[in-house]
Amino acid sequence: MDSQRPSTRTLVLRGVRDALALPAWVVGLSLFAVGSLAGETGFPGGTAVLSTLLIWAGPAQVIFFAGIAAGTALPAVALAVGLSSIRLLPMAMSLLPLLREQARGTWLQILVAHYVTVTVWVEAQRNLPTLPPEQRLPYYLGFANTCIGVCAVTSYLGYSLVGALPLPLAAGLLFLTPVFFTLSLAAGARGASDWLAIGSGFALAPLSSELAGKNFDLLLTGLVGGTAAYVLQKARGGAR
Amino acid sequence: MSASGLWPYLLVIVFGFLPSEVWRVLAVFAARGFDERAEILVWVRAVATTLVAGVVAKILFSPTGALVAVPLAWRLGALAIGVAAFFLARRSVMAGVVIGEAALIGAAWWLTR
Repeated sequence: MDSQRPSTRTLVLRGVRDALALPAWVVGLSLFAVGSLAGETGFPGGTAVLSTLLIWAGPAQVIFFAGIAAGTALPAVALAVGLSSIRLLPMAMSLLPLLREQARGTWLQILVAHYVTVTVWVEAQRNLPTLPPEQRLPYYLGFANTCIGVCAVTSYLGYSLVGALPLPLAAGLLFLTPVFFTLSLAAGARGASDWLAIGSGFALAPLSSELAGKNFDLLLTGLVGGTAAYVLQKARGGAR
Repeated sequence: MSASGLWPYLLVIVFGFLPSEVWRVLAVFAARGFDERAEILVWVRAVATTLVAGVVAKILFSPTGALVAVPLAWRLGALAIGVAAFFLARRSVMAGVVIGEAALIGAAWWLTR
């Protein structure tokens, strides 16, 4: 295997295939729900697609369209969107070094970071380390562009079909995100530190929303739980 | 608010895209000089993993929209069924998602019959 290197095309297609195997559809269906929310704002359908291509973060898109629909002041909408997307900072930070072998320029790195969303991050954390550094970028771009492309279509479909879904299916659509994230985290967990992080995130979330309110709770959960998981792992393993 | 012409698109860019994208651009500069084994990134990764678990818990414990129609115990039960299916099917994410979803949709259908 090591003697013959797969071509760039092969790697891109491998990324496309892995995205279409499940993740692109999961994030696609969750952005279907975002599209239907956009359908309730009176904005044109193109804004649902543009928000997927540019914002590319489900919670931020939900906050944006729900805020607009509720008549929230625009600066307050922007602030809430910004707070919800802070989680992208640690994700993009931990992903970039995996791709730096090929993504050297600043603009290319910004493009790589643009694709970071929970689904892409979880899958990339799981799959990229299994590839040699010089094969990761084409795989990643194939994977991420497939996800974003599928989502551009589904968010438009959601916009067009707003309100047409029966309740059990609408509930199933909203349940897709938690069940998929949980299983992807479980599938990608590499050792005790990851399990500690998953457990503490789950346990701390209800407490954080009491303490920090709906804008800062995820940040509090992440910082406290993640630091605790990191420290416990250090204390247990010493110098790994 | 006017929803005609280019105005809505401009709102998406200024009040949606920019405040979100700023974190990704900052990450590019903040990650400079660290390789993938850097100790600080082990910590950052733990924070990000915890955040994702927090997102899951938030949706399960305080959902919005149609998911509200399914009580908390049923939501947690459907997730537990999905996780069990994942491990039984030799860590297949697909199997876990399909079976967990079937449990949740079935419960929602039964509750709203």
